[in-house]
Amino acid sequence: MTVPLTAYLVVGALLFAIGVYTVVAQRGAVMVLMGIEVILNAIGLNLIAFWRFVAPADYSAQIFTIFIITIGAVEMAVGLGIMMLLYRQRQSVQVDDYAELRG
Amino acid sequence: MNAANIAEIIAFALSAFIAVAGALGMATTMSMFRSGIFLMASFMGVAGLFVLLSADLLGLLQIMMYIGGMLVMILFMVLFMQDPGGAMMADMPDMMTPVGKIFSLGLKQNDPTGTGPEEEGEGRDGDDDNMGDMDMSDMAMVTPAYRWAVWAALLTAGGLVALLLLRPAWPLASGALDPRSAERIGSLLMDKYMVGFEGAGFLILIGIVGAVFMARTGRHGAKADRDSRSAIEDTPPEIEADPLTPLAGDIGQTGPGGAA
Repeated sequence: MTVPLTAYLVVGALLFAIGVYTVVAQRGAVMVLMGIEVILNAIGLNLIAFWRFVAPADYSAQIFTIFIITIGAVEMAVGLGIMMLLYRQRQSVQVDDYAELRG
Repeated sequence: MNAANIAEIIAFALSAFIAVAGALGMATTMSMFRSGIFLMASFMGVAGLFVLLSADLLGLLQIMMYIGGMLVMILFMVLFMQDPGGAMMADMPDMMTPVGKIFSLGLKQNDPTGTGPEEEGEGRDGDDDNMGDMDMSDMAMVTPAYRWAVWAALLTAGGLVALLLLRPAWPLASGALDPRSAERIGSLLMDKYMVGFEGAGFLILIGIVGAVFMARTGRHGAKADRDSRSAIEDTPPEIEADPLTPLAGDIGQTGPGGAA
């Protein structure tokens, strides 16, 4: 407990900002998915840091982090499935080519 | 300050550096293969932070789920991308951001003749385009989409860190931790969060079925598409310019295909 809570929160904020940058700036669909994973990681880190420093007796935060990891895995699998399908149809994995999926 | 405190600070600094530098390298390098490897480093750093926060089960889960599962999927999908090794961008350092230059050091450049050795997976280029006949639209595919994204990210980071200054006084608790934390988590998962647990399991099932259904080939088209496809298969086209001399007897009538 030598390292304060604020240090962990700053690391989480930096990871979140880098993930936001990746999602906004990158053109490849795989890179966007990677950015989303970094964002989910930052959220999990924040949850665990708050659990450890504020409510260490209640293990619910770890449950929620497990849920985040699970949902991230499902999202990644479905997203890559959609990408495979779109790549097969259009021979492109750049998100700008999928603009008509906007609905 | 005793040795344990110093060790904890060193471990935190190392893990935090690996996590943040890995994520930064993932976001800025020109090679998508390198992005995947940097992402793995970032996951490792976050797992180290989890262990430092005495959430050992989650640190283990992080490594097993993200690195064992998702990163394999990501690296598989990177192979579909155009220019996964970043060779197209490697010889134009003017197009890179300053941070991207650091993380793109030593990338194998495109061979101007297009016949160079391509053993390395990292330097593999998707097509044999030379630099000369590449137009601006190709370049736009690998450069960041929006220049203001850097400022958006800096603003996000600055805003989140500034929120820490305005934070309320959280009541910090320093209770003793249960040494058998995995057991606590398991019983909580099966007791209080049973519905969420079942819901996550159901979500995974739907995700598996949906991903397999979407990635399946040729079974989900419109009915007209299926009909035309089967109609084509019923009457196979004539083989043009067949190099083989035709056989004496008509084998096709007695073969397994003809008997059906």
